[in-house]
Amino acid sequence: MASLFKDPSKLSAYRDRRFSGTQEEFERALQTSTTVYIGNMSFYTTEEQVYELFSRAGEIKKIIMGLDKNTKTPCGFCFVLYYSREDTEDAVKYISGTILDDRPIRVDFDWGFQEGRQWGRGRSGGQVRDEYRTDYDPDILSLGGYGKLVQRELEQRQLVDYGTGSLGSFPPVMTPYYGRHGGSHGHGGYHRHGRDYHRKRHRDDDRHTNDSSRRTLDHESRRNSDPDSRPEKNPRFRESGDSDEDEEEYDRKRRS
Amino acid sequence: MSSWRSLLLRIGDKCPEYGTSSDFKEHIETCFGVLRRELEHSTNDILPFLLQCAEQLPHKIPLYGTVVGLLNLENEDFVRKILENTQTNFQDALDSENCDRIRILMRFLTAMMCSKVLQPASLVVVFETLLSSAATTVDEEKGNPSWQARGDFYVTCILSCLPWGGLEFVEQVPEEIERVMVGIEAYLSIRRHNSDTGLSFFEEYDDESGKDASEKDFLEDLWDRIQVLSSNGWKVDSVPRPHLPFEAQLVAGKSHEFGPINAPDQPEPLSQLAGVLYGKQKHHAELKYCQRIHRLNIFPASKTEDMEPIDRFIMEEYLLDVLLFLNGCRKECASCMVGLPVPFRYEYLMAETIFSQLLLLPQPPFKPIYYTLVIMDLCKALPGAFPAVVAGAVRALFEKIADLDMECRTRLILWFSHHLSNFQFIWPWEEWAYVLDLPKWAPQRVFVQEVLEREVRLSYWDKVKQSIENAPALEELLPPKGGPNFKYSLEEGKERTEQHALSAELIIKVKGRQTAREIISWVEESVFPHHGLEAALTVVVQTLIDIGSKSFTHLITVLERYGQVIARICHDQDKQIMLIAEVSSYWKNNAQMTAITIDRMMGYRLISNLAILRWVFSPANTEQFHISDHPWEVLRNAISKTYNRISDLRKEILTLKKSVVSAEDAAAKAKAELDAAESKLTLVDGEPVLGENPAKMKPIKSNAEKTKEEEISVRDSLEAKEALLARALDENEALFLSLYKNFSNVLMERLPDASKAQTLGALKSIQADEMIVDLDESSEMEVDNENGRPKKSQSNGEKASNVYKVGDKEQWCLSTLGYVKAFSRQYASEIWPHIEKLDAEVFSENAHPLFVKAVYSGLRRPVIETSSS
Repeated sequence: MASLFKDPSKLSAYRDRRFSGTQEEFERALQTSTTVYIGNMSFYTTEEQVYELFSRAGEIKKIIMGLDKNTKTPCGFCFVLYYSREDTEDAVKYISGTILDDRPIRVDFDWGFQEGRQWGRGRSGGQVRDEYRTDYDPDILSLGGYGKLVQRELEQRQLVDYGTGSLGSFPPVMTPYYGRHGGSHGHGGYHRHGRDYHRKRHRDDDRHTNDSSRRTLDHESRRNSDPDSRPEKNPRFRESGDSDEDEEEYDRKRRS
Repeated sequence: MSSWRSLLLRIGDKCPEYGTSSDFKEHIETCFGVLRRELEHSTNDILPFLLQCAEQLPHKIPLYGTVVGLLNLENEDFVRKILENTQTNFQDALDSENCDRIRILMRFLTAMMCSKVLQPASLVVVFETLLSSAATTVDEEKGNPSWQARGDFYVTCILSCLPWGGLEFVEQVPEEIERVMVGIEAYLSIRRHNSDTGLSFFEEYDDESGKDASEKDFLEDLWDRIQVLSSNGWKVDSVPRPHLPFEAQLVAGKSHEFGPINAPDQPEPLSQLAGVLYGKQKHHAELKYCQRIHRLNIFPASKTEDMEPIDRFIMEEYLLDVLLFLNGCRKECASCMVGLPVPFRYEYLMAETIFSQLLLLPQPPFKPIYYTLVIMDLCKALPGAFPAVVAGAVRALFEKIADLDMECRTRLILWFSHHLSNFQFIWPWEEWAYVLDLPKWAPQRVFVQEVLEREVRLSYWDKVKQSIENAPALEELLPPKGGPNFKYSLEEGKERTEQHALSAELIIKVKGRQTAREIISWVEESVFPHHGLEAALTVVVQTLIDIGSKSFTHLITVLERYGQVIARICHDQDKQIMLIAEVSSYWKNNAQMTAITIDRMMGYRLISNLAILRWVFSPANTEQFHISDHPWEVLRNAISKTYNRISDLRKEILTLKKSVVSAEDAAAKAKAELDAAESKLTLVDGEPVLGENPAKMKPIKSNAEKTKEEEISVRDSLEAKEALLARALDENEALFLSLYKNFSNVLMERLPDASKAQTLGALKSIQADEMIVDLDESSEMEVDNENGRPKKSQSNGEKASNVYKVGDKEQWCLSTLGYVKAFSRQYASEIWPHIEKLDAEVFSENAHPLFVKAVYSGLRRPVIETSSS
């Protein structure tokens, strides 16, 4: 609609070095993606808070918290996956720069979550931005006088520990889908591509209500036949070499 | 951006492009000067950009009109092209029913008429074409009055041009414009008064008083404003007239003609002026030609009295267009909103306009969160003025919350909680502390409670608790602290039952990564036979939910891994309802997790929308209808998820249909190629043979086969999707049938006899009347009994006016009827296709008239039909 003023922040200014395609493919991925990246969050912010806020832009499919590699606790960023592109755009348009949990958050299109990206890439395990933090966005800070706001440690809140509990290492089940459909072919479009993938959780599940047992059985057998998808896979033992050296790539400082 | 572009874009703004000047005349001269130089080389760029600016920054149209007027002196041909382009665009917009474009292009034409580019008589011809189309539409014999929305829209467009060019019309073509005005007056006398109570923000309680008939609808109101404008000699403060200083030059330009335009075909006449078909078409027409604003009067008239009636209309046009065209450009949008070219302050009007959009029924042009953002940005852009205006709007709406439409209340709660979360949760809660003295069903009290609940969801309990420290008693309205309520938690001193042991066993199995199948066998072999189904269900559901209780993702993980265990146990609707009951018991302190869990279970098809519906209408929930949003949230989610599934299917079908066409084309082309090749005579060994030589033939043939296969395969997927859609629509019918039956039943049980309460007003005053009879026992006493708290005697006198007089049962009926209307309105397009069935099975003579009225009002269905159905 508003084509006269191209919003420069509309497509993300950063380029994730982990993206394997060309710049064009990367842009296409951003233009069709139904994933947003959310940065500058409080470590205490929970998925439920994210859900409450981001569901105001549309139905949410998934939330993936960015976790500190070492502590398995949130480290200030996350991904939200929507069902529709329109809702994704609205999340970027209407939520970026607003406050969640007393912090101005940043919302950007993301080319799609892939297993491994939920781990912070900073040397100490947390988000890179966190270690090199400058003020988030001086524009926004100056407008509302938020600069003055000191986050009071009212927080008797506990960080959510994603590393313990009956489900074991985390997050086990989403691994295969991203690995299969996201990485190698058709970046960006995969959210709705993989038929198997969306049969599981696409809201317009093709099957009839009563078929749910067949659905999950199918799901189970397919998953078992997929070697990458063992829920047991423990991120602690992920192949080395994919983490510490790429510190800068997550730094989403605006080009200025 | 080259300089002519930014000059065009920024004209009229206080900006670096125009240096220190804020004088329109200088802006126009500067812009024109640069354009004149560039015109020779860049005609092909300037023309579309200029038109784009005029269409997307309509508040600057007078400036663009004047620039075009000056260009007309230099380059007639360029301006002729502008007019030709505009004519094509205008005809396209009429044909494609693009309302915003029609309206704005007519304003642009008017501005060009003012700067002598366009002959006024040509524009009058446009007006007459549209007017005659409108008059035909509402004619009962020749036209189809169910399409009145279109006629009204055309006439609104004509009237909307007059503030921009009324004076010029009267000066230059007085007779012609008078003829148009007479025509409009005639149109107004034939059309039906639009009494759209289904879309009003506030419930009309005295609907029999005839107040509605005397209240002007949008078009009648605009007509009145134009009449006043005309009697003021067409002088308007809010419309700049930048062409005046250039008039002496402009008259020298060539006045072009405007080619003829055609109004779209008239809809087919209807045989009946009432009935289902009429209702369906009216609904359809009103969707296409929807009224873009319903005026919301929040503030006392004194806040806006320095404006003429027409100024209000013009300001609304400006503001709505900025909201429309600068959506997604935060900074531009906020700065345009606050910097409109008018000589008066308009914060109050701006707030009313934005709130009217946030609350617009059936839905706003954009998601409510957009308006939330705009309000935040304006609070930051005008920190001295706007926050107070917003607070004033909140107070005023809060005062009238009992009359506010249910859908609007929900939106207001979501907006307000979100807004406060962006401003450190600062609000003078002490002003509202008195709601604690009101009964728990009083709408103001419910509002406060729901706002606090949403604040907690966006933040956390202690934070919100701290934010109400100036009214600590309100803590009573905070939701519980949100932790889980696990039946088998291993607390000290709590009795351990057999089921505790089973639950512990299940946890170990999950920890040991047993598969769903293994757990199903365990349930079927060890749990179910010895402990019975109910115990098995409770243990499995409670334990799995507990394992997934840590976060949304944990929940999803557990449902993906072990959902089939639940599915195996909860295989029919009754078990699904038991499942929902367990979820709600586990999360009884956390409404959000209850809603999310139910929603995800529906997503995984572990529970059906009908099961959710039945659970929502179970007695325990039904009792909450007027005191909590929780059951409604779950119901809204279930219906919206169903709706989303259907719209996804529709979109996919649309895409597939396009693929079928292109696959057909490809196949036909390949076939033609094959035919050509086959019919070709080739010489083989000197003999003429029919058909291309085999080496060439092979790929052609295989291509033909391949494209044919592709065509068939796309067709198959289309058929499959269409079958799914057909089934989804059947399910939708079942859903709405069940929804309305449930509504009808619970209302029938509680509504007073139809003879006692024929209107909402009568219903509302039942309790009040009883109180008058019972003078001695003050209503405050009852309130206190209800709350079980001692009365604060000192607040007696001053807060007496705040006592809420509607009784428990009556409020239940009012709220529930409000939701009936809200659901009907929101899903009207999905409900209309099933109306015959619903009429036959639910909206019959046996249904309570107030229930039927609420449905009709939500569907915006003419009420005359009650007798005919």
